[in-house]
Amino acid sequence: MEKIKISKGFTPKLTGDPDLSMIHLPFPRTIGCSAGDIPFIRPKLLVKEGDTVKTGTPLFSDKRDLSIQYVSPATGRVKQILFGERRRLLEVIINPREKDEFIEFNPVSAKDLTDMPKGELIDRLKQGGLWQGLRQFPAKDTADPDHTPAMIIVSLNGNDIFSPHPAQVLKEKLEAFNAGIAMLRRFSHRVVVTARQSSMKGLAALHKGLEDQITHVAGDTYPAWHPGVVLFALKQTEAENTSWSISLDHLIMMGEFLITGRYPVKKMVTITRDGDHRPHILARRGAPIKTLAGTFTPGSLVTTGQFNGRIIDPRSHLGFFENTLNIIGPGPGEEMFGFVRPGVNKPTVSATFLSAVFKKPAPLDCTLHGELRACINCSYCERICPNDLMPSFIMKALHGDEVEEALSLGMLDCCQCGLCSYTCPSKIELAKILAQGIDSHYKDKA
Amino acid sequence: MKNPIKKLFDAYESLFTGDGKYQRYEPVWDATKTFFFLPSPKTRFMPFVRDHLDLKRYMSFVILALLPVTLFGIYNAGFQSGRAAGETYSLLKCFFVGSWYVLPMIIVSYGVGFIWEFIFAIFRRHKISEGFLVTGLLFPLTLPPTIPLWQVALGISFGVVIGKEVFGGTGRNILNPALTARAFVFFSYPVTMSGEIWIAGKDMVDGITGATALAVTGIEGQAIGSALTEAGYSLSSLFLGLVPGSVGETSALCCLVGAAILMVTRIANYRIILGGIAGLAITSLLIYLIPGGSDTWANAGPLYHLFAGGFLFGISFMATDPVSAPGTNPGRWIFGFLIGFLTVVIRVANPAFMEGVMLAILFMNVFAPLLDHLVIKYKTSKRIPNV
Repeated sequence: MEKIKISKGFTPKLTGDPDLSMIHLPFPRTIGCSAGDIPFIRPKLLVKEGDTVKTGTPLFSDKRDLSIQYVSPATGRVKQILFGERRRLLEVIINPREKDEFIEFNPVSAKDLTDMPKGELIDRLKQGGLWQGLRQFPAKDTADPDHTPAMIIVSLNGNDIFSPHPAQVLKEKLEAFNAGIAMLRRFSHRVVVTARQSSMKGLAALHKGLEDQITHVAGDTYPAWHPGVVLFALKQTEAENTSWSISLDHLIMMGEFLITGRYPVKKMVTITRDGDHRPHILARRGAPIKTLAGTFTPGSLVTTGQFNGRIIDPRSHLGFFENTLNIIGPGPGEEMFGFVRPGVNKPTVSATFLSAVFKKPAPLDCTLHGELRACINCSYCERICPNDLMPSFIMKALHGDEVEEALSLGMLDCCQCGLCSYTCPSKIELAKILAQGIDSHYKDKA
Repeated sequence: MKNPIKKLFDAYESLFTGDGKYQRYEPVWDATKTFFFLPSPKTRFMPFVRDHLDLKRYMSFVILALLPVTLFGIYNAGFQSGRAAGETYSLLKCFFVGSWYVLPMIIVSYGVGFIWEFIFAIFRRHKISEGFLVTGLLFPLTLPPTIPLWQVALGISFGVVIGKEVFGGTGRNILNPALTARAFVFFSYPVTMSGEIWIAGKDMVDGITGATALAVTGIEGQAIGSALTEAGYSLSSLFLGLVPGSVGETSALCCLVGAAILMVTRIANYRIILGGIAGLAITSLLIYLIPGGSDTWANAGPLYHLFAGGFLFGISFMATDPVSAPGTNPGRWIFGFLIGFLTVVIRVANPAFMEGVMLAILFMNVFAPLLDHLVIKYKTSKRIPNV
């Protein structure tokens, strides 16, 4: 087991960490298949309102590759197809029946898994609506099945600091996990499995052999366990730039799907809020946000990752890629003489508030704590970037349309952890600017 | 209960925003309002939580670090004035007399500077950046207390307009605006900026010269050290700062306190300050070891070079201006070091400029982008390409 240590990043003093107990969410009244969280997709609808669907029936596919399809996580009738601005598909909402009827596939035994032709395996995953769980660097688009990646990175911990504990997710799913790992070995010679240092104890307690499967232990400094950071830490050749990554949830899903031939319908979710310690929730995939999150103060934001998720409408449903909801409070509003207050309760990475002296966790709210200003070249973003980038210089290069320069500065190594925007005293949306730079470069190339 | 000040702002808000009668002056309105109430709009893009440090807080800490220097500067202006008149003023009187000379300079600098900031903000339709809060205080601290106020106004105008705004405003300037302003006054009005003008006061008693320590040289083979002590510039008096000089520069102690505040809070980059002190110490030591010239500043040694003149003030507050300094860490070390180096070289080799710090920093400001360029070129050559 190797260690991955990053010298920069952010050691969180946040509150709201989930409890390690687990509850089941009651069967929800609606279930949705969201398109809002899927990067780059150009959806093509395959169903109409009123259609009856089984669990596993394709609801929409990706126009860029029609074999990539997103399937129904429940059995029932299509209640509504929701569109957003410019008729962008938001989600397909289903009125579910409690008893599932599955689209059935032939189960795959452990021996089949190593013997069946690779093409057949890929087709099976595509038909099951699961292939898109594999993502390809640098843009993190759906993995290209014709490409043989130099490595596949499995991160047992999720995108958020308080994503579900891997021991909770793996409970009773070890067989599926092993099948998933065996499957990954068909696609690449090198499978890297990483977990956070703080998760190791729970994982060791869950199963003895599990520790041997973990190839790399990442520190607890956010975001040391992100696939993008792991890749940057391990990278030695240019060929590894197009590695793949997969989340634990999707890996188990694929394993389970191959073993049983049915689309797995449950997922582990955490809900975080300042001061709360809510239990892990075992919920239906596509469960409504309202049921998951419960009630909260008006003006709060509900997001799927405090640092790198998206803002999610409380009336919508949890997406394919999401397993954490953060309820971020509205904060105290415009404080009088806010800029000269001692700030015992104002967390900061600098040392300009008294909170820097105390080690106790402090609440964060969903406001900027300031206004947009010009970049003053203070290097706070460089000081915190886990992948050794200089976000402000990349931002300036992109600003001047110098894409080549942005690339040579390592723009594509950006792991989208969001820390540069978090720390910027001028409140510049660095993470967003970099993400747009990566995306537009990727789209140009395609 | 609603805050009465908030009520007042709410009542007049519509006049300055949207289609209001005075919407042209929105930047002025906004600057006033955000001074009282910290703006805190909701995050719209990831990450959804943000650090509490913003530019107002950032610049406030520079002001905080400047407070010891400013207060001491005021006290010292009064003290020197008393000394020149042959009296010893009480603490209060020192402050009172000092304020009489120094406060008008600060007020004029802020007032005139902000007018320029407002004009540019109104025409460019952008918000007013907090950077000027620092510039407006730094500039008067680099001037002698005797300077006519119209020169302060002219200097700060040059600094803000030519030093900053013509480049596009805060964040885009090449040179430090406060130093640009000082350089303008220095070269345009040499009479008020050099010679024996460093003590504010009307009637000077005989035997008191206003020359600063850097103007001292040994006469007829006298070593510089004893010449300085004889003129009243012992190391300890230079360290404490009760000597003639520009308002803010005299006390090495206060400058070090400010530097410590800036480094501990990580507002200034410690690499520039430490690099600068190292550069100054090493260069002055090397020059000290060269034989000859024992009566000049060449032979003064590192401590005198460190405590005399404005070096500590410059390296702590001027060179650490992040906009005009390099943006890479190795660049910052080199930048600081070369400022120290150039300061000593100018002091020793060029008797026309008694003080080398200002020119050293401005000179290195010009080279900062080049340092960055070289560092970045080296850094990117070490990366595994990803294109």
